[in-house]
Amino acid sequence: MSYIWTLAEQANGHLKQVSFELLTRGRKLADSLDTKLASLLIGNGVSAEALRELILSGADEVYYVEDPRLASFSCETYSNIMVELIKTFQPHTILAAATSSGRTLMPYVAVRVKTGLTADCTELDIEETTGNLLQTRPAIGGNILATIKTPNHRPQMATVRPKSTRPPEPDADRDGKIINVPFKEEWLDGRVEFLGYRKDAGDFENIEEADIIIAGGKGMKKAENFKMLRRLSDSLEGMVGATRDAVDRGWIGYSHQIGLSGKTVSPKLYIGAGISGSIQHLAGIKTSEIIVSINNDPEAPLHKIADFAIVGDLFNVLPELQKRLEGGK
Amino acid sequence: MGYAPVTPAIIRELKEILGDKNVLVDEEKIEAYSHDETNEEEYGHMPEVVVTPETAEQTAAVVKLANREVIPVTPRGAGSGLSGGAIPIFGGILLSVEKMNKILEVDFDNMVVTAETGVVTNDIISMVKEKNLFYAGYPMSVQTCYLGGNIAENAGGGKAVKYGVTGRYIQGMEVVTPKGDIVNLGGKLAKDVSGYDLKQLLIGSEGTLGIVTKAIVKLSGLPTASAVLLVLYETARQAIDSVPVIISNGIVPTSIEFMDKLSVQTSCKYLNETLPYENCGAMLVIEVDGSSAEQVESDMIAIGDLCMENAAQEVYIAEDRNAVERIWNVRRNIAEAFKVYSPIQSLEDIVVPTAAIPDIIPELDRISEKFSMKIPCYGHAGDGNLHATLVKDPEMSMKEWHKAEPEALRDLYSVTRKLGGKISGEHGIGIKRRDYLEQLIDPVELELMKGIKKAWDPNNIMNPGKIFN
Amino acid sequence: MNIIVPIKQVPETSNVKMDPETGTMVRSGVESVVNPLDLYALEAALSLKDSHGATVTAVTMGPPKARKVLDMAISMGCDDGVLVSDRKFGGADTWATSYTLSEAIKALGNVDLIIAGERATDGDTAQVGPGIAAWMNLPLATYISDIEVESEKSLIVERLVEEGYERLRLPLPALITVVKEIASPRLPTLRGKKKAMQTEIRTLSTENLTLESTNLGLKGSPTKVVKIETPKVTRGGTVVEAMDDASVTEAVDRLMDFLRQREVV
Repeated sequence: MSYIWTLAEQANGHLKQVSFELLTRGRKLADSLDTKLASLLIGNGVSAEALRELILSGADEVYYVEDPRLASFSCETYSNIMVELIKTFQPHTILAAATSSGRTLMPYVAVRVKTGLTADCTELDIEETTGNLLQTRPAIGGNILATIKTPNHRPQMATVRPKSTRPPEPDADRDGKIINVPFKEEWLDGRVEFLGYRKDAGDFENIEEADIIIAGGKGMKKAENFKMLRRLSDSLEGMVGATRDAVDRGWIGYSHQIGLSGKTVSPKLYIGAGISGSIQHLAGIKTSEIIVSINNDPEAPLHKIADFAIVGDLFNVLPELQKRLEGGK
Repeated sequence: MGYAPVTPAIIRELKEILGDKNVLVDEEKIEAYSHDETNEEEYGHMPEVVVTPETAEQTAAVVKLANREVIPVTPRGAGSGLSGGAIPIFGGILLSVEKMNKILEVDFDNMVVTAETGVVTNDIISMVKEKNLFYAGYPMSVQTCYLGGNIAENAGGGKAVKYGVTGRYIQGMEVVTPKGDIVNLGGKLAKDVSGYDLKQLLIGSEGTLGIVTKAIVKLSGLPTASAVLLVLYETARQAIDSVPVIISNGIVPTSIEFMDKLSVQTSCKYLNETLPYENCGAMLVIEVDGSSAEQVESDMIAIGDLCMENAAQEVYIAEDRNAVERIWNVRRNIAEAFKVYSPIQSLEDIVVPTAAIPDIIPELDRISEKFSMKIPCYGHAGDGNLHATLVKDPEMSMKEWHKAEPEALRDLYSVTRKLGGKISGEHGIGIKRRDYLEQLIDPVELELMKGIKKAWDPNNIMNPGKIFN
Repeated sequence: MNIIVPIKQVPETSNVKMDPETGTMVRSGVESVVNPLDLYALEAALSLKDSHGATVTAVTMGPPKARKVLDMAISMGCDDGVLVSDRKFGGADTWATSYTLSEAIKALGNVDLIIAGERATDGDTAQVGPGIAAWMNLPLATYISDIEVESEKSLIVERLVEEGYERLRLPLPALITVVKEIASPRLPTLRGKKKAMQTEIRTLSTENLTLESTNLGLKGSPTKVVKIETPKVTRGGTVVEAMDDASVTEAVDRLMDFLRQREVV
């Protein structure tokens, strides 16, 4: 039986959290097919202990392709590696993260190996009769859930959003193989050159990774008022999000935008202040564990889906909340 | 003004008429009925009791009681008014139509809807939309306002150039008179000259002549296509000079909205809009609609060409919903943008003959300078109805503002009058403009109005203190 | 420079309503619009045209009525529009769509740069842009927030990723997908609209493209939709009013209790 694969990710030699989350998904599929789970990692400088963590978290095998020239993501080079490994090992299914690199690499690879790919799956199952992967994903702003399969092409490929699953508890007794795949020069595609990171990235934040998000909308009235949200998010160790309206008005950068035309987030706690809750924004926060809404309009749609809604002026409520958070927990 | 107080005995009687649940005296609950969209601190006043009758009969019984005891009755819709018309300035009974909120009949054969007046206007629009029909007489606040309030204020709005105002679409109504009688005026009739047109008298009477409990409204075919033009001009005069040219050309736009330089800049900055507005002295937003995309497209181009021939700097067009929204946002966010700058404002809605709009702009500049306040001017150019808004300078003290505001308003209103205009085109007089009306109106006209009021409401219990004293 | 911008007509989702009784989407009366994220791609291309000179061609795949989005693109300033349309293309998944579009772009010849939107707001996959690059074996840079023309043969671009902004040197020809930060889109003008009405939109179909018939449409798509469900929104919880000072204090107290109970503070 062919294996289930997950595509692990690294940055600066460290494994990203999502690499482990994928193992939770992959393990379930491998068990129901009674096959093995392998994790593929392309990168540089990842320690043997770190690779072992993947085994302890559920992988039976880890394929590691290492080279200094693989330290930063290159779609062309990474896809050369994947295409060859897929041809060699013929996995049943490959799961990757819906990150900037996963969402770039996977469609590129899917075309090259002539197979289907389903983005942002919220549920993955095995169809009992056929062993096909059943991939469920939201579409049209979360208004529908579509279940998709790839019946005649292999491997079956899917991406899942970071933070949509918890990583497994590592099991110290687990055993597995770490296979160092030797790097081949012919894989290298030097067309795109990585020059480094921009220095002055301003108020950059990756809200997709946040456990707590304080988001502001039109009701924040002006850019300065986002400082209130920043203070709150600092106290809560969270990050600041925003609606499209607020970003369009230039109150905060695009990297903070949540919703259909921005990021989809799944924090433990989302607090929306002065956000009425358009369908587009709600589509981006639906998977939050707890939703809190603060808005003086009792009819705000966000109130209707919030776990806790305060109908009141955010300019009174937020300072009060700040006081509580600073005054010891 | 010798009104009787609402005593416990009166409350008991009201409860007998309406049941306990429809009589509110708890301060916390009735507070919400003490103001509308005008400045609460300046105009707000608490009622003594709030009643929410469920039928015309209950309404009539309440009014009969009030008339007998001489207790003022203030009728109220959604409370989205902009002139203080629904504020119970003498206390007494506030009568909210909120529980008379049923759409009773959609009559496709006669193309009319019969509805109670506590219905949110937008509910009528959504209900008939599926059948490709349309209720055209609605104001900007369509999502929240009630049909009853629209009738009382004869509401206008953004589409009045083509579709006119509320009054045009009201064919019949059931009214509770100030003496507590129920009368039906008009009907499912396109024409009716059987005596005085009392129905039209009621429309725009600001609740001073009775309480409308049901209305028969006329439907039209739903326009299925629309497009918007955003036209930039170097000067306000050039923008306004285009308006009669457009209107007289045979294509009637749904709306022609004007925005002066200050409005444009404040709104665009607030929205972070990247349109090239810096060198633009005024903008027009023009919407066309119709039942075929081809017709709308050719109307749009014809109007755009006219604008270009008449000194426009640039004509932007929007057929795509998102582009349409983007253009309308510039217009819709003017008030909000100024609120961020300074929340203390006096939102006006003067109306002048359309050709006089260019003459009012330099006057606004003069008043603005004289009283050191910003006065953005924007609004429904297609019907000469302008929201010249006095905005308090954040540096100005409230004391200075209270002195300057009435003087500036008087100045504005007398200029308006000189140009052949009136002080309110769609918001109404209410209490906000009552004193100014009395100073500016022809005394003969005022006497006639007072005579009508007296004939309908001899005890002056129905929304007293509104329009005139 | 020859720039191609693939764009898509999508339903205007803010007006999508769910039928409360059947739980299905009410499709009637839903308008079609240009995918809002494609406007940034159009603007990026038109800015390059303004600053460096370029010919910008918008390409869309869809039924004949999708021509509307090409009209809008030309009204904004694009030089040309190409409609990729054929009944046989219907029901294509992202793989088959990117195949068909890549063949159409190849047929147009001589492409220096393809600029695509980050993703479409209906399918929300972000797969077609990278897919086209793969079919054409072009270098690919996604999530681009800034473009600098280094020479006739290369761009320096900034790429918005989880860690911040990467800087990349990209040889041409290449495909990039852009994010909102790239530029604020311009509005269509009357002049542009008139030009659009005079522009003959080319249609590419199975008749004038050489295509593998097994790669087309629903039949040629590796993925198959097997079920469509409507998720039930079952959320909703405590509502607290906080209209004056005392009730603000109380509301925040209750919120803090709630957050402690749920172990998030």
